[in-house]
Amino acid sequence: MKKALFIALALTATSASAAPFVYPAAWTAEQNTANKRGGELRLSVLSDFKTINPFTSAEADSIPGTMVENGEFGSASLFLQDPRNDEFLPYMADAKPVVSNNGKRFVVKIRPGMKFSDGQAITADDWITTWKIHTDDKVGSNSFDNFFLNKKPITIKKIDNLTLQFDFPQVSSTAYGRMSFAPWPDHVFGKAYREGGADAIKKLWTLGTPASQIVSPGMWVLESYRAGERSVFTKNPYWGEWNKDSRGNALPYLDKLSYRVTNDANATLAAFLAGQIDQAPMRNADDLAQTKRAIDGGTLKATLLPNVSPQAQSSWITFNWNKSAEPAQQKLFRDVRFRRAMSHIANRKAMVDLALGGLGVETYSSVYPVFRQQIAAGTAAGAPRYPYNLAEASKLLAQIGYTKKNAQGYLVDKAGKVLEFNLSTNAGNTVREQLGRIFADEAKKVGVKVNFTPIDFNNLVNQLTSKGENRPFDAILLGLSGGGNVWSFGTNVTPCGGNLHSYNNPTNGACLTPQESLMTKLYYQGDAELDDAKRRAIGGQLMKVEGELQPVIYLVGGNYHVAYNERLGGEFARNMMDAFYGSRMWALSFIK
Amino acid sequence: MIPFLLRRLVQSIPTLLLASILIFFVIQLAPGDFLTPAKLNPNISEEQIAALQRNFGLDRPAWQQYLFWMGNMFQGDFGLSFQYQQPVLDIIWPRILNSLYLALMSLILYYSISIPLGVYGAVRQNSPGDNAVNVVLYFLLGFPSFFLALIVIYFILQIRNATGLDIPIGGMTSNNFEELSPFGQMLDILKHLIIPALVLAISDAAGLTRVIRGQMLEVMRSDYVRTARAKGVSERTAIWKHTFRNAILPIVAGIGGLLPALISGVGFLEVVFAYPGITPMLLTAIGTQDLYLIAGFTVITTVLLIIGNVISDILLAVVDPRVKVS
Repeated sequence: MKKALFIALALTATSASAAPFVYPAAWTAEQNTANKRGGELRLSVLSDFKTINPFTSAEADSIPGTMVENGEFGSASLFLQDPRNDEFLPYMADAKPVVSNNGKRFVVKIRPGMKFSDGQAITADDWITTWKIHTDDKVGSNSFDNFFLNKKPITIKKIDNLTLQFDFPQVSSTAYGRMSFAPWPDHVFGKAYREGGADAIKKLWTLGTPASQIVSPGMWVLESYRAGERSVFTKNPYWGEWNKDSRGNALPYLDKLSYRVTNDANATLAAFLAGQIDQAPMRNADDLAQTKRAIDGGTLKATLLPNVSPQAQSSWITFNWNKSAEPAQQKLFRDVRFRRAMSHIANRKAMVDLALGGLGVETYSSVYPVFRQQIAAGTAAGAPRYPYNLAEASKLLAQIGYTKKNAQGYLVDKAGKVLEFNLSTNAGNTVREQLGRIFADEAKKVGVKVNFTPIDFNNLVNQLTSKGENRPFDAILLGLSGGGNVWSFGTNVTPCGGNLHSYNNPTNGACLTPQESLMTKLYYQGDAELDDAKRRAIGGQLMKVEGELQPVIYLVGGNYHVAYNERLGGEFARNMMDAFYGSRMWALSFIK
Repeated sequence: MIPFLLRRLVQSIPTLLLASILIFFVIQLAPGDFLTPAKLNPNISEEQIAALQRNFGLDRPAWQQYLFWMGNMFQGDFGLSFQYQQPVLDIIWPRILNSLYLALMSLILYYSISIPLGVYGAVRQNSPGDNAVNVVLYFLLGFPSFFLALIVIYFILQIRNATGLDIPIGGMTSNNFEELSPFGQMLDILKHLIIPALVLAISDAAGLTRVIRGQMLEVMRSDYVRTARAKGVSERTAIWKHTFRNAILPIVAGIGGLLPALISGVGFLEVVFAYPGITPMLLTAIGTQDLYLIAGFTVITTVLLIIGNVISDILLAVVDPRVKVS
């Protein structure tokens, strides 16, 4: 009798307090009105999953990452970005946080009624333990940096079972993003950590651990893992209690998610064309053409959406300002007129047409073109562009003193020295090799000799990230990817002294020009601005200074394409899809 | 026998030591290390890279790393893979097992194709059958096995499209593998093994067939075979007992070399067939400069090569009464 009463109480308690997270109807273009349930979403991954342990995992696609993810963005975390306007919504948090201490303290109520896949409640202890383990440098977690701001730690305190208090060392625009990490079970990791420290954590959840021992706070939990072949995830039975669609149905609709290891991008495409996987990345025009042919030929029933958005990546040429051994070249590279001339030489349209098969965009800023709101702010601030214009380039070079050409048609200075430099990129990247080739060809037209050589990737990275007064390169063509849309400037790219501040990296890490100092100041100012609009305006100012200085010549970016099998429903509306948010949330996807 | 084994054991120590030094330092010769790509990530701080370098021991000079690695290896610890953050042996063991299945299967097919064909070619030398076999095998020998595999996959796809038959073209198990009975699981794996194993066996068969044919012809012309025939032994005994047994001696001597080959997988064929063997894993490890995974695996193959040579010697003594191990 006592027990029955207890169960009844427990039932009322959970149903009364557990307010679910309701997915807005606008988050999918195709409502699952027929309430279709079950089925398996079949995806692919290029190389084998390396571990199940969320604290040692360092891959882009990982087993722990998959268990908590909800599509290409968003995962089991306190806050979730709305793909419509980039705003953070309370997700595992019950409401927006209470902010105090001038924007440095956040008190977050945790949504009650959430459970791990083994039925245990998710509470404040899970976040605290997860934070402690991530910040133990002996564990070597990839999220380590996430919990530090300017080398000062962010601290998290448990107020009660369902309340957390985050204290930031300074105001940060990335606060919501930094608070959004997946909580891993204290009853698994906390116990091990208290008894055996970092070593005990590293031994947990290896690939040899039976799937039945794995516990997930997210939508999926590992069901089986076969090395080098396939991993299958099944839905967390308790997840639907706090994740509902707009009509109140429990999510996800799907039963299973499987990843097949393909080892090769061509094999991935082949599996997609054969209908064996439901989604495949479209890398280039060739992939698109093959998919189109299969769809037109009737062998594949799929939706193909080319040019959905630009990719979240950049490609650029950087010139080395630290060449004390060759003062003439150092002076040249430090001359803003020279760099503007180089930007005028970059025939970005030809690069898009020839190297990217017409599927790309011209870029003029370090901000990835997919972050449209920040790009628009830059344009509004009047960030200058130096587009393809050989006459303008010649004029600028003449101002520096290059007016005469030698017998081979190359510009020479007064001493008769040819205007030339070495440009390297990483061998094997065909797109970058073509970009460099086009740049060198155009440079030749105005009389600049560019010695373009693809070299080994690791050598290149070591050259680029080297520090000192005499760094071992002239110019490097490379690209970056990674980073979010809240503050779209790289912490080790924009401020002076960062290891990707590639053009000027002396031993003491000091700025050389007032523009660099201003960019560094604006970087930290924007990073500490919590208001989205104000922050974007500061970003616009930064883009203006960056455009004028042209420290790095930005070239082109590829486009993001979407292709998925027709059996899959529940994707985003076309205008919500982009390279950052992807094309769907797993929770709202279903098999037709 | 025992002194022979002991002598081989002592001889193998300097071999292994030298091999391990070579393996370790040749890998180190490549520019950069496992953490180099992380330096290009705009969101990883220098402090974290330094912390990881400390954790991985990559901040120490190479000779210290080597001594540390050797010291651990004597205790049976092959080190930690950077990518997997797990002991090397735990990672490669399941892969080796998978490769072993495929290599064994293809080995069985390889011998069961080449031996009959080689013997047939010698017994019916220059007959139309012999010539036909030669032409086909030479043709196949000209293809690299992974290319042959691609052609086979193309035709299987056409057959699949035309007939709707579910012929597996990649992987080691079907999607519903977990739900099958143990016997069904065995059958499922066999079904996935047969095509890659056959492709490999056929493309390699030409070489062995030629060797067996040549050896058979040579032995068949020898005096003792003529004597045997003159004594009136049956044709079958003359061929299989007197000729074949003597003809395969060079092949037996080479069996030792197969042992490391068995576990090092069947190379690109595993990649083409998306087979979860050792090769795809090793390729990723080389690409990411996962030092201890590559070095650990190479040491294991070296050890197996030494063991294989010992086994060859013993086998040779069994087959050839003229050879004594001691």
